[in-house]
Amino acid sequence: MGILIALLGTVAFAVLAPVVGCLLAGVDRIVSARMQGRVGPPLLQPYYDVRKLFGKERAAVNGVEHAYVVCAWLFACVAGGIFFTGGNLLLCVFVITLSSLFFIMAAYSTRSPYAEVGAARETLQVMAYEPMVLLLAVGFYMAAGSFDVGAALSLDAPVIGATLLVFLGVLFILTIKLRKSPFDLSMSHHAHQEIVRGITTEMSGPTLGLVEVMHWCENVLFLGWIGLFFVWGNPASLALAVVVALAAYFLEIAIDNNFARVKWQFMLKSAWAVALVAGGVNIALLAFL
Amino acid sequence: MALIGFLIVFPLVVAALLLLFRANTARNAIVWGGGAVIALASCAFVFTHLGAQEVLIPFESEAIDWLCTGISVAIVAVILAFSYKHKNVWAALLAVVQLAMVLWFELGIEAEQPVAYSLYFDSLSVLMAFIIGVIGSGICIYAIGYMEDFQAHEPEGARDRRPTFFALMFLFLSAMFAIVFCNNMEWMFTAWEVTTLCSFLLIGYTRTDEAMRNAFRQIIMNLAGGIGFVVALYACALQVGTLSFHEFLAIGMQYPQLAVLAVTGFGFAGITKAAQMPFQTWLLGAMVAPTPTSALLHSSTMVKAGVFLLVKCAPLYAVCPAPSVMVMLVGGITFALCSFMAISQSNAKRVLAYSTIANLGLITACAGVGTPEAVWAACFLILFHAVAKSLLFLCVGTAEHHIGSRDIEAMDLLFERMPRLARYMMVGIMAMFIAPFGMLVAKWATLVSFVDVHQVALVIILAFGSAATFMFWAKWLGKLAGIAGQPENVELTVHKSEWFATTLMMFLLLAACIGIVPVSHCIVEPYVASVYGVLGQDIASDNLWIAAICVVVVSAVLLTPRFRNRGRQVPVYLAGVSADNDARTFRDSLSNQTPATARNWYMEDVFGEKRIAPVGVVFNSAIMAVVFVLAFMATPMPF
Repeated sequence: MGILIALLGTVAFAVLAPVVGCLLAGVDRIVSARMQGRVGPPLLQPYYDVRKLFGKERAAVNGVEHAYVVCAWLFACVAGGIFFTGGNLLLCVFVITLSSLFFIMAAYSTRSPYAEVGAARETLQVMAYEPMVLLLAVGFYMAAGSFDVGAALSLDAPVIGATLLVFLGVLFILTIKLRKSPFDLSMSHHAHQEIVRGITTEMSGPTLGLVEVMHWCENVLFLGWIGLFFVWGNPASLALAVVVALAAYFLEIAIDNNFARVKWQFMLKSAWAVALVAGGVNIALLAFL
Repeated sequence: MALIGFLIVFPLVVAALLLLFRANTARNAIVWGGGAVIALASCAFVFTHLGAQEVLIPFESEAIDWLCTGISVAIVAVILAFSYKHKNVWAALLAVVQLAMVLWFELGIEAEQPVAYSLYFDSLSVLMAFIIGVIGSGICIYAIGYMEDFQAHEPEGARDRRPTFFALMFLFLSAMFAIVFCNNMEWMFTAWEVTTLCSFLLIGYTRTDEAMRNAFRQIIMNLAGGIGFVVALYACALQVGTLSFHEFLAIGMQYPQLAVLAVTGFGFAGITKAAQMPFQTWLLGAMVAPTPTSALLHSSTMVKAGVFLLVKCAPLYAVCPAPSVMVMLVGGITFALCSFMAISQSNAKRVLAYSTIANLGLITACAGVGTPEAVWAACFLILFHAVAKSLLFLCVGTAEHHIGSRDIEAMDLLFERMPRLARYMMVGIMAMFIAPFGMLVAKWATLVSFVDVHQVALVIILAFGSAATFMFWAKWLGKLAGIAGQPENVELTVHKSEWFATTLMMFLLLAACIGIVPVSHCIVEPYVASVYGVLGQDIASDNLWIAAICVVVVSAVLLTPRFRNRGRQVPVYLAGVSADNDARTFRDSLSNQTPATARNWYMEDVFGEKRIAPVGVVFNSAIMAVVFVLAFMATPMPF
């Protein structure tokens, strides 16, 4: 039964998340433009861009790359399906990591010097955020009594009360996960700070379009993690969760526009320090109080 | 019962035959036949005892008691001979100390403690029998082809020691079977020492200076561990009053204070054998041996004996705080630090060695936690690690002989140079660290069990260690995945026996990952239930099935022999100055051709051995010293 629900959730997520993610990306571009004193493109510009990518000729350095990107997209959808049907949070975390791995392999498979630099940096990014993501799941479990996302809907109070530090830690690594400056080492949306195009250097046409769609799906999932902190038995809390997730997204856009890319040493050390302090202290408090 | 005797004795017969018939063709036939019979016999044993509860077998034999004493003396004689020849005082000293303790024990104390049920089996033995019998003999078969190449690579006129080599491999299997089936601790100890000696001889196989140095390091550390085992035997005989492992566990669970010293001693013995920090150097040094030895030591024997003992003692760690803290922390710290150090290594075998030590650390930590959930996780870690690690070692060994290097950087483009092998290796690597494969599912269960007992330190260690694990495996995987030009296929000359063994491991791995629910139901859960009386499974079967489905998808993609490029084939981007795109060369500022190369990231200054290893060595040694002092103080001394 659980398998069937996860499967249906995956299909639903694969259809709906790109819509939401696309609108978010459109808002991102408008808000960014306003912050930079520009008017910005229409709201649906990300959709037009991706539609154009899918209309382009297929051209690739090998046949494997596209297959790996499809896997990355597929497992991102599975992770989203598991999360939004109330499945196991840890399983969701592990499956989205699998998706990242396939994306990394796609870049490595091209053996292009620029893509390899991006892939190596992406690997480092995963290593940087992974501890905090695991501690997020642990913190949720200790506060909610279950790893099942659905358990949040029967709580008397949102988990944020007991997991404030974990929440702040997740907010910190969210910048890495959403590929925002200053932590957009592997692939940046800001042309001035990128070596060619990082991890996606060799991806073009429909493959690149699929990467964009996957990125939208991921954004929706990660904002879902943020919203999860604010959900409890009251149905109105879902609206609150959406508001908080959007606020977090706005915060990330502001950070993106105000910081220049940092070196990897700073990213790794700061992300691990935050995970150790915020995650560690919070979990110790949950365990011993 | 008869099958158990057969599993212990038959490998000895094979070993004897191998020493008698020294010709190549005869040896190959004996190894194929012997390996197949052992594998089939252990499969038969496993399938006839699925879901087995603990069964004690009434069996007593004074002759075997004397035989054990004789073997102990013989082991020490061999060690002394080697110590004399290679002028190693420490090994000789430890061997003599151990012999004195063993003789005093066996002639003085043990005689008053007969064990009525000397043999036993339960579902953990069933699991171990599968690992030893199938994976162990698979490795022996692999060695047929490998050792042929190995001998060909040896300098002219080098002595052919292959008969001894193969005999030792089978002797090893026999000793491992004895360890998992003996309820009589004295017999178990003898088998334990036989494995120590076998690995000494196997590591020193080439008899070069480096090999002998590392072999002696191994034997010194494991003799120290053996002394820990003997201390535990004394404690069992004098305080708990039994030499039956079964009774020891039962009495210990009721009166933990009696068993403290014994489980500390067993913990120490297990930690040395499982190469936990500060003893990690012996396993790292062991890779000078031919690859089948490494595969055997890392996956199905030796280190698995260490964690087997720890997992057996797990219910006692749950009730004895001091030794539990020792085992948990030593394992946890080893897991994190060795995962960090693996990032800084480019030698493939060294990466595998660090990964082995790290995963054994996780199993050790699970044993130290000792809850039913933790033991469930530990059993799966043992199973998946054994299969995946043997696959990886065998692949690296074959690759080494065909590309001439075991450096990960040299495995560039392996995807096309050795297409089949590279795909096997990629499956093996993914199985080691990423969901949905079993290893990660077991880690997941480990995490849940750590959280449930509020071991905050272990949870944090696991979170950071897993992140490091991702890094060092993913970059290796990336190296393998690269495709450029049309390199020559160099895997056409790989021996049949090597293909047989690697393919076998690959299928075992996928079968175990896909069938995780039935394996749990038929083997692991019965063990946990028979020890604790409750089930310890903490991941819902639905989630396991989702993981199993994902395994099917991922392995189908990885094992696809060829992806057709459905679009136009284009060159990679080389900033517009490419000279030969297939070779990834570009025209540099002096108009010369320069290849564009990228090395993986090793971050020596952050994760280097020099920086990290001392931390673990100092910390873990201190923990063990403190706990031993506490255990001695807590124990009333009868002598």
